[in-house]
Amino acid sequence: MSARARPRGLHLRHVCPPNGHQRRHLNHFISRADASLTSAEATPVSNDPSSTFTLAVKDNIATASFPTTCASPFLIDYRSPYEATIVSQLRARGARLVGTTNMDEFGMGSHSTHSVFGPVAQDPEGDAPIPADTSSLLSAGGSSGGSAVAVAKGEADVALGTDTGGSVRLPAAYCAVVGFKPSYGMISRFGVVPYANSLDTVGFLAREVSRIRDLIVGGGTRPGLWAEHDPQDPTSLSSAARTRCAGGREGYKFDTAWGKKRPADLLRGLRVGIPLEYNIEELDPAIRDSWARVAALLQSSFGVRAVPVSLPTTRHALAAYYVIAPAEASSNLAKYDGIRYGARATSNTTAAAAAEDGSAAAPASDAAEGGVLYAASRAAGFGAEVKRRILLGGYTLSAAAMDNYFLQAQRVRRLVRRDFDRVFALANPLHDGDADPESEPPSFDLSDLDERVPMADKRGPEEEVDFLLCPTAPTPPPTLREVLAKEKNPVEAYMNDVFTVPASLAGLPAVSVPVSVQPGGAGEAGRPGAAGLQLIGQYWDDARLLGVAEALVEVLRDEGMGR
Amino acid sequence: MSRVSTAELSKYLLTGSITRRGCLHARFSTATTSRGFATDARLQPTTPTTPTAPAVPFRKQLKDQNKALKTSGNKKKKNVDNQTVPGWELTVGIEIHAQLNTRHKLFSPAATSFQDSPNRHVALFDLAVPGSQPLFQSETLIPAVRAALALGCDIRAVSRFDRKHYFHWDQPSGYQITQYYHPFARDGRVSLYPRDGIAPADGDRVDIEIERVQLEQDTAKTTAMAGSVHWLDFNRVGVPLIEIITKPQIHHPATAAALVRKVQMLLAAVDACVSGMEAGGLRADVNVSVRRAGDAVSPGSPLGTRTEIKNLSSFKAVEDAIIAERDRQIAILEAGGIVEGETRGWSLGSTETRRLRGKEGEVDYRYMPDPDLGPLVIADDLVTRLADSMGVLPDQEIDDLISSYGLSTKDAMSLLTLDDGARVQYFYNVLNALEERLDLANDASPTSDQRHAQLAANWCLHELGKLTELSSDLGMTPDGECRVPSVDLAAILAHLHRREITAKVAKELLWGVFRCEIPSGGVTQAIESNGLWFHELSEDEYADLADRVIQGEDKVLSEFLRFKQGKTKAYPQGKLMFLVGKMMRAGVEQRMDPSSAEKIMRARLESVYLPALEAS
Repeated sequence: MSARARPRGLHLRHVCPPNGHQRRHLNHFISRADASLTSAEATPVSNDPSSTFTLAVKDNIATASFPTTCASPFLIDYRSPYEATIVSQLRARGARLVGTTNMDEFGMGSHSTHSVFGPVAQDPEGDAPIPADTSSLLSAGGSSGGSAVAVAKGEADVALGTDTGGSVRLPAAYCAVVGFKPSYGMISRFGVVPYANSLDTVGFLAREVSRIRDLIVGGGTRPGLWAEHDPQDPTSLSSAARTRCAGGREGYKFDTAWGKKRPADLLRGLRVGIPLEYNIEELDPAIRDSWARVAALLQSSFGVRAVPVSLPTTRHALAAYYVIAPAEASSNLAKYDGIRYGARATSNTTAAAAAEDGSAAAPASDAAEGGVLYAASRAAGFGAEVKRRILLGGYTLSAAAMDNYFLQAQRVRRLVRRDFDRVFALANPLHDGDADPESEPPSFDLSDLDERVPMADKRGPEEEVDFLLCPTAPTPPPTLREVLAKEKNPVEAYMNDVFTVPASLAGLPAVSVPVSVQPGGAGEAGRPGAAGLQLIGQYWDDARLLGVAEALVEVLRDEGMGR
Repeated sequence: MSRVSTAELSKYLLTGSITRRGCLHARFSTATTSRGFATDARLQPTTPTTPTAPAVPFRKQLKDQNKALKTSGNKKKKNVDNQTVPGWELTVGIEIHAQLNTRHKLFSPAATSFQDSPNRHVALFDLAVPGSQPLFQSETLIPAVRAALALGCDIRAVSRFDRKHYFHWDQPSGYQITQYYHPFARDGRVSLYPRDGIAPADGDRVDIEIERVQLEQDTAKTTAMAGSVHWLDFNRVGVPLIEIITKPQIHHPATAAALVRKVQMLLAAVDACVSGMEAGGLRADVNVSVRRAGDAVSPGSPLGTRTEIKNLSSFKAVEDAIIAERDRQIAILEAGGIVEGETRGWSLGSTETRRLRGKEGEVDYRYMPDPDLGPLVIADDLVTRLADSMGVLPDQEIDDLISSYGLSTKDAMSLLTLDDGARVQYFYNVLNALEERLDLANDASPTSDQRHAQLAANWCLHELGKLTELSSDLGMTPDGECRVPSVDLAAILAHLHRREITAKVAKELLWGVFRCEIPSGGVTQAIESNGLWFHELSEDEYADLADRVIQGEDKVLSEFLRFKQGKTKAYPQGKLMFLVGKMMRAGVEQRMDPSSAEKIMRARLESVYLPALEAS
């Protein structure tokens, strides 16, 4: 969406000008707190100065301090009448809001380029100044690119993002920070502008895993976010369900022996699955190399068993995701009509004028149907990528296509979840009903399995695993110029989500940690790109996942493979 | 306020008069558009220049309707059987939307309100504020499950919510949450009897199956203002509705109207519904198709192409619209044409339905399971509890009134429907007090003598009804008390039943109580102090009076003689009453009972005068 298409008469009060030519920064903030002011809003609720931290919030999460634009022309001046639960929860834990961050409009994108405020860019290498034209800079990833850059630059200790199909993990990988997507239903979505409700999660970005782990698991007298049910969010797990789910999990009691283990001890004896289907053709060789080296390191030096596993539905997961997410998006975005809030396109457009002329003769219902107000507002209020996904979703939900697309995608989604449940040693506490442990163990269709997976018996693979280890993104970050050049082929951009989407479909926790990519490898033009390695855990195994991720970051750093 | 009495309705529908209480009055004085429900986005024209049926006050429509009928000279069409068309079979299915009687909206804790200032009860979710989420209000299940049970439905343990997408300004989120794929209740049945007003062709009873009952949200209320301005009141958005869908099993227009009426009555009886059809709490869409009677013989032969008529807002509209649409379809088919599947509208008073849109204009609602809402699980214990506490349904109660108290079907139905069901409660209160006074409370065999019950029913209906003929209001409360306390009416009736006062005195006492001239509990005192006790004449005194008035009435006497001799077939009752009237005037009225006077006059005629006349 170009800046010109913005509805007229709106005055920007945002820090990033929608006019790209005047930009001479990375464009990662949309609104920013004035550092010189100590306004009430910037003051944390917590009285303990030692526990305060700076927080950047993706601009699709409602704050009391700033507009909530979702980087959309529609909401360019929109201020939420209430604050998201997660923001209030973090304020209570000492968060000081530094601003709201730029993103792909409504979270739809993989490079934070589909923003009414222009694309987000990563810092140039070394101490190079930021050029006026940022297109030579690297993509920050998306859709929570602004949050990732804010964290990478040290402007926020923690940043909130939203992760629907990888929107936190992908920018974390590109920007070499930590990105965590919690189990679905753990963090309240109340106040988070939905993209696809059944997939949306609030994600966390930080330079250190411990920051995130502190917030999720808690510590000392501070309760972890994992335990807090939000009655305002119908998909927030009840307190009883939280306790039940945590019952079979390690790591939720921060001060126990498990929590005090040294990194090497945390890793010892772990079984880590290497999903063979993730070794796709499009995977950048340098990233594949890093993946293999880390697996080998863990196995040789830390007593981790790296186990090849098969997730046969992986190849369909991306397609299912791009059916389900746009379908829900098309429904969620139906509310933006310019009637009650947001930008309303005035009637001096040609569409409206034509409809007005016709209204005398045409039945009045046609005017409603043609939706003068709606059509003009929605035409002006959404960017191209959002419109594309609304159309996609509108089609897959239509009576003629529903069965072949939406319902099939839901079936695939079940299979994706079943794939994960089969490889994880832990049971999925949300699905204990349909997989009775007393009955026949879930059987594998051997023809679905990758042939390299060792078999224990004719029933299936030999070993169940604790976590899966895989790359976060198939390639290192491209430059913005490369991204824009490829925009004509959106399907290629969708490919970036191939490793992150399965965990989203299954609602599982996943964390991306930075790993170095060997320069001189087959990386793009030998560029020392950053990459992310992703750990995926069973449902509600978030605490242990973060503990192990923290240990992994530490050993990688010790081995010179971190960032 | 959950029920509109049938008496009220008939007054209202046939003469256009509306009692000035409650919501009826308020509703129709506001110029609102009719879209009560989110059945369709495009029914409502955008510009107020297009006349929409209900924008005109209902009463005026009825007047116009009468005028139209008069000018067309068709006023006297009543006796024509419009229920059947020889050679054709009509098939109708009905969808009824009813507002549930709850305190909160379906998915937000905002209050439901009908009279409050606009836009006072609106939660974030009701306005589709970004980031807000639906919160199912489980209390909605109480009226919803009760309604489904009253309709004989099977309550599903697990049901789900779906989004139905369409754009309209009264639908803030761009979709309505409904239960398309998995409704919470299925497979119900409503039995209709002649007393419900079914077509004679349907015989003694007809059962209509209910296919499903689903929960859904209402839309905002639009008020058309001058110019192309619309005002929106979001108080109504998200108010819980149930949609009741029958199978296409109705074959007569009157039966269709009877079904809607019966559903309203059932919903009111279990307190599931906020208000009746004319108050906008209930709305019906009908699906109409016809086929040649020959086609109907073979089972499984397809129904004719159906059309849907939307937003019918009265029982009469249901019946009239079906008749008009049936006749239109038959005319098309007889002319060799094809009925198009389309959506049509109906204005009160018109004689034909009008096309709203054809199939090509159908909206694809793109139903999608709501990803924020989990399945709705209704446990058995809730269903059992609600079924046990539901009370007696109207059919059962009518049967009880008829069999236990000897009431007529008509009186039983009137008692049940008047004052939103409070009148029958009042009747029970009066009856209890009366039986106590008459010391019948412990009578083991109440069926032996039901005269006091019939008396009570008669007075609760007709004498009480006369009190309000001149504009004032009984002030009936839901627990069955009114400006005439039940104990005082019982006192009057006890005296009357024991013949301690005359009916005339009893009526005067009733007025006295109604006008607060007699304090509560002071009925007997009032009789005493005003000397109203009935000291009846002795038989001899009656006989003397009879003898006196017969003098000089030879011509009248001869009529009796002719009957006795078999020259006329009918007993000259009129002549007898003429003589009784003379008697009443001649005597002291306060001491006379017309029935006693009649009895003695008749006896005197038989035993004294006629034999004398014959002899002469």
